[in-house]
Amino acid sequence: MSHNQTPLYFAGVDIGSTMSKVVIIDEEQNLRAAVIGPTGAEHRRRANEVMIEALGQVGIALESVAFIVATGYGRLNVPFAEQQVTEITCHARGVMTLFPEVTTIIDIGGQDAKALRIQNHKIVDFITNDKCAAGTGRFLEVIAETLDLPLYDMSQISLKSSRPLQITSICTIFAQQEVIRYLSEGAALSDVLAGMHDATAARVVRMAHRIGIQAPVVFTGGVALNPAMVRAMEDNLGCPVMVPSNPLITGALGAAAIARDKYHRLTAEGRIPAVSARRLEEIRLFEGGAKT
Amino acid sequence: MNDKPQGLTAARLIYQDRTNRVMELKAQGRKIMGYMCLYPPVEMMTALGLVPFRIFGRYGEPTSSADTVLTPVVCHFLRSMVDQGMKGNYSFLDGIIGSHTCDIGSVAVHIWKDYIPEPNFVYFIDVPHTDHLPAQEYFKGQILDLKRKMEEFAEQEITDSMLAEAIALHNRQRQLVRELYELRKADPSPLSGTENLEVMVALCSLPVEEGNELLQQVIEEVKERSQEQLDERARVLVWGTVLDNSALLQVIEESGASVVIDDTCVGTRAYWDDVPVGGDPWDALARRNLVDLKCPRTYRQASFGQLKRDYDAELTSRFAYLKSMAEDWKVEGVILQSLKYCDGHGYDVPGIRHYLDTLGIPSIYVEHDYTEGSLAPIHTRIEAFIETIKL
Repeated sequence: MSHNQTPLYFAGVDIGSTMSKVVIIDEEQNLRAAVIGPTGAEHRRRANEVMIEALGQVGIALESVAFIVATGYGRLNVPFAEQQVTEITCHARGVMTLFPEVTTIIDIGGQDAKALRIQNHKIVDFITNDKCAAGTGRFLEVIAETLDLPLYDMSQISLKSSRPLQITSICTIFAQQEVIRYLSEGAALSDVLAGMHDATAARVVRMAHRIGIQAPVVFTGGVALNPAMVRAMEDNLGCPVMVPSNPLITGALGAAAIARDKYHRLTAEGRIPAVSARRLEEIRLFEGGAKT
Repeated sequence: MNDKPQGLTAARLIYQDRTNRVMELKAQGRKIMGYMCLYPPVEMMTALGLVPFRIFGRYGEPTSSADTVLTPVVCHFLRSMVDQGMKGNYSFLDGIIGSHTCDIGSVAVHIWKDYIPEPNFVYFIDVPHTDHLPAQEYFKGQILDLKRKMEEFAEQEITDSMLAEAIALHNRQRQLVRELYELRKADPSPLSGTENLEVMVALCSLPVEEGNELLQQVIEEVKERSQEQLDERARVLVWGTVLDNSALLQVIEESGASVVIDDTCVGTRAYWDDVPVGGDPWDALARRNLVDLKCPRTYRQASFGQLKRDYDAELTSRFAYLKSMAEDWKVEGVILQSLKYCDGHGYDVPGIRHYLDTLGIPSIYVEHDYTEGSLAPIHTRIEAFIETIKL
């Protein structure tokens, strides 16, 4: 360990369907940078931009990062990552870093929802919605667009309801029609919105029940930033949920923690990844932008 | 000897164009007998000199004709099979034997009779949904009725010696397939699940003698492969509905796993049990195809008529064969896969998962619909599952 003069950094890059996140940690697993930006259509360039910003926060160059793990939908579009790991494994790892006692993780992102059961710090079962957008962030966005309301306002109005209405459709389009029908019948907006949050939560909780839900439950993903959804999840689960202070970055955080593990395992095996060779290739990519 | 493709190369060519060889044989005057699922006894076809040809769908080709006669909630494999029939792609068959495998399987035979003019000979064999003795007797009666119809069709009787010879040939095929699977017990397995499937599909598209020859070549070829030293891939068993295309296996194997064994009907289910010889061959055929053949379409109880509930005993009696597979092939995880709308397989999933839990073997359940598009959303789940075994 004589060469260990310079500090070690590890990065996790989570290219989600809607947002791209980068987390950089150090050897002691302290959070050194966390950057979130929209994913958009150009996965590759977006990954670079978010990464550059994160490096800027720490004040280091890309070469100073010892190991990078990419995750999320766009994980194959991160040319500077040494390894790709699925968002399921990374989320679990990230949440366990923050809440070591966690047993159930429910994550609702832009276009997917997943539930994970954890035992002895390992995923023992998991389930994802692989069929449609109902029960995801996208569903809430569709409703917000229909009503021409910002997501935040939609959440706040919803929290004022005392009598949530029942939304029965599980299809996004049909549920949207139900919302409009209630409003045209003169129902209170808060009650309609509360019903919509409740239906979304109920759908995810139903899915999560298939793998068995046990407290403590941690709720993550962009949708966990929505207080009305947090309350709806608690109502449907019948127990409180814990929400990380930054629920969007758990995947990237887990990816960074896995990068750290992987670096040390390879080092122990005498197979330290050849970082320098790879860097050059990807500096050219930075200069060239998204030409490929 | 000659330039004819051998072994795995030959198998791949037949896999890519299944009718390749049978069209040649047809030109030489051989009759081709199509069959659906594993229930029509192939031994009877071979005995009469017919070439057994298993009817599949065409993976990835969008259905059109079948959509006019089937409701949306129909297994996509059978939908595609009917579609291929309606499009005339099976018109080269001289006869078809369908079976009461599942409800839609029966309907498929109906539709074939009603909407598809060729071939003339379409027989439906009723297969009971239970496996106790009276059911076996009934199934034997069905097989004997099929025998009479086939004899009329072929204008030839099936004598005991013809049947015995055919049984011996097919048992030889089963033995060779098991020999091939035996090689996959090695770690790492010298044969991928994808390659294995190509061989299995080829076997359903060739006369039994040619299939046996192909198998011998493949076994020699695989034995000669040098073993890689390092293999960190997880060894998995794939269970579930018919896989006549390797797309899903490729997704699994690209995700860092090695498919070392399967419980599917274009795999072990077709070859794991011989037709017993020595006794009455018709009893043997009925028993082998109804009792030994393990498809969830057959309802199995540890003991019929027993009121006492014993969940563990039930699970063991239904799924213990998976335990030996898992132990012998050093399986680290099980991927349970099913075509959408397959009730039979779907209802077995909770029981199998409980059983695998008791063995401490992790498992995952995925659904797909006979298109590569449907594999995209499950790709990440399969990868994540493999990460839980090995990261």
